[in-house]
Amino acid sequence: MKVWDPFVRIAHWTLVTCVLSAWATGEIKISSIEALHEWLGYAALAVIAARLLWGFVGPRYARFAQFIVGPTRTLSYARTALHGSEPRYLGHNPLGGWMIVVLLTTAAAASVTGWLSITDRYWGVGWMQDTHEAVGNALIALAVLHVAGVLFTSVRHRENLVAAMWTGIKRAPAGRDIA
Amino acid sequence: MNLKISTLAFAFALGLASLPSRATGFATCDSGPRDAWQSQDKLSALLKDKGWQIRRIKEDGGCYEVYAMNEKGERVEAYFHPRTLAPVPRGAKDHKG
Repeated sequence: MKVWDPFVRIAHWTLVTCVLSAWATGEIKISSIEALHEWLGYAALAVIAARLLWGFVGPRYARFAQFIVGPTRTLSYARTALHGSEPRYLGHNPLGGWMIVVLLTTAAAASVTGWLSITDRYWGVGWMQDTHEAVGNALIALAVLHVAGVLFTSVRHRENLVAAMWTGIKRAPAGRDIA
Repeated sequence: MNLKISTLAFAFALGLASLPSRATGFATCDSGPRDAWQSQDKLSALLKDKGWQIRRIKEDGGCYEVYAMNEKGERVEAYFHPRTLAPVPRGAKDHKG
């Protein structure tokens, strides 16, 4: 059944493209590549802003209120996942939900620090340049962790979640699945 | 089919993530041993005399890399040769100074 709406999927893969390309072009000092790097950052910010808005007005499984749960439920989900007995969520599971919050925040921080680095005020200001680089690298590390979580959950519930984010379709809930 | 797309996407991401992150500077300098280099302070003073406001001086590709606001108040990122303190044009390879 349809779970991820077209906006969520397009926003997801656009952000993936922006982040990976921005990271790959970050150290290349060729004027046209630098310009591309800057535009990738602006595009990422636009996608993040739109996704935040969609998290309040979008359909059920796009909404933050649907997938952000408190620390108690998140920890108990983590515990059951370690024992291999966690329920299948049709939407984002609690850990995945928090990872989305962390990824969006970190990607926004990477974009904003990069943007500030090329304003007159922060041009050549070492700590801003260094923060931008550190946040960018942290974002990639988090993305790797995100993919690891996706693969783990895919194997656990025998469902290709990468494909689901592409097509929007997931297996209908059954048994003790949480819809 | 779906598995194929996602496997490809994942392989692409992995490939991109494993690219070596090389610092490919705007220019490189043939600057030799450091004891023949002039100090960053001297370069800074020289540029301040031109009306520049110096923000940061680093080493990059054997050159001094300067972030500054120039005399017109524009952001500049310029390269200088550590031995001669002469400007190094963008794209220069192993600039002799």
